[in-house]
Amino acid sequence: MTKRSGMVLLLRLALAVVLLYAGYTKLRQPWLVFAMSIDAYGLLPEMGVLAVARTLPWIELGLGTLLLAGLWLRVASALTAAILAIFFGIMLLSYGKGMGIDCGCFGVGEALTAKTLARDGLLFAAAVLLTRMAWRRPSTPSL
Amino acid sequence: MAILLLAVGAKAAPPAATRKTRGAPMAKVTLEVFSDFQCPACKTLHDQTLKPLVAEYVDKGRVYLIHRDFPLPVHAYARQAAALACAAARIGKYEPVSDALFDTQAAWSNDGKVEAVVVNAVGAADAKRLSDLAKSPEVLAEIESDMQKGRAAKLTQTPTMVLSHNGKTYPVAGVVTFPILRRFLDQLLAQ
Repeated sequence: MTKRSGMVLLLRLALAVVLLYAGYTKLRQPWLVFAMSIDAYGLLPEMGVLAVARTLPWIELGLGTLLLAGLWLRVASALTAAILAIFFGIMLLSYGKGMGIDCGCFGVGEALTAKTLARDGLLFAAAVLLTRMAWRRPSTPSL
Repeated sequence: MAILLLAVGAKAAPPAATRKTRGAPMAKVTLEVFSDFQCPACKTLHDQTLKPLVAEYVDKGRVYLIHRDFPLPVHAYARQAAALACAAARIGKYEPVSDALFDTQAAWSNDGKVEAVVVNAVGAADAKRLSDLAKSPEVLAEIESDMQKGRAAKLTQTPTMVLSHNGKTYPVAGVVTFPILRRFLDQLLAQ
């Protein structure tokens, strides 16, 4: 294994674990609890809140599974980076407004703070790096 | 010393059911709202979510509502407002005073004239009683007790709602709109 493929493997597994855990924590509680966390951001109308609350945990589980298995790595890493970019942007905006809300990242009870922002920023950077590496080399299931 | 005072305060505080509550204590769902009278988001929650909640769920015996004070240190007059509201609760006038405090939040947050709001809400005679009562150890202990409950629930921000049903609790921070809260309450009440 080259240094490059080792790096891809590390990023892939780290992001997979985070996404799988994020999806799991949302699904183990009533889905409307997650809906209330999304609602508190004050960005979406009621139907939008409900649609995101219903689908996002499954999207996280799906992307986590693809990254874990190393399947469709280019698409999976790009989608992960896109989703994390949206999360990071929304969190940054809300934090800038001084909103006292839950992050909603891993279920309820975790406040939106500089720490959660930094964590999300790191994850986004990792996803961008993985996407760049995946698109620069042939996508193989072994990675 | 502080711990001793807290312990004494907690013992001295009368049960919550006699004061800052509304609805049937035996309701299937209990909703505790931790808020700060000077926090703009708390005003939004009070005006847009809690008012319809009271009409549709609390007054119909389906949800038991408990108000908890969590005045944040960054808000200069929040603790004074909380003390006046707690004092008002002791003479059965919590709601007119808390409504007045939220209605005029922008004004007293700027000029610090919190007591003037109370005079307008309950009249001069009761306002004098409330002013004295707000400085009593019992009222100060009650606020500290609410804050202790908030800290125990790992609360760091206001407003935070803590919903309890069948032994499970669901804390949610921030302003949740009434239509979304209603969906969750209906889900809990249907169980």
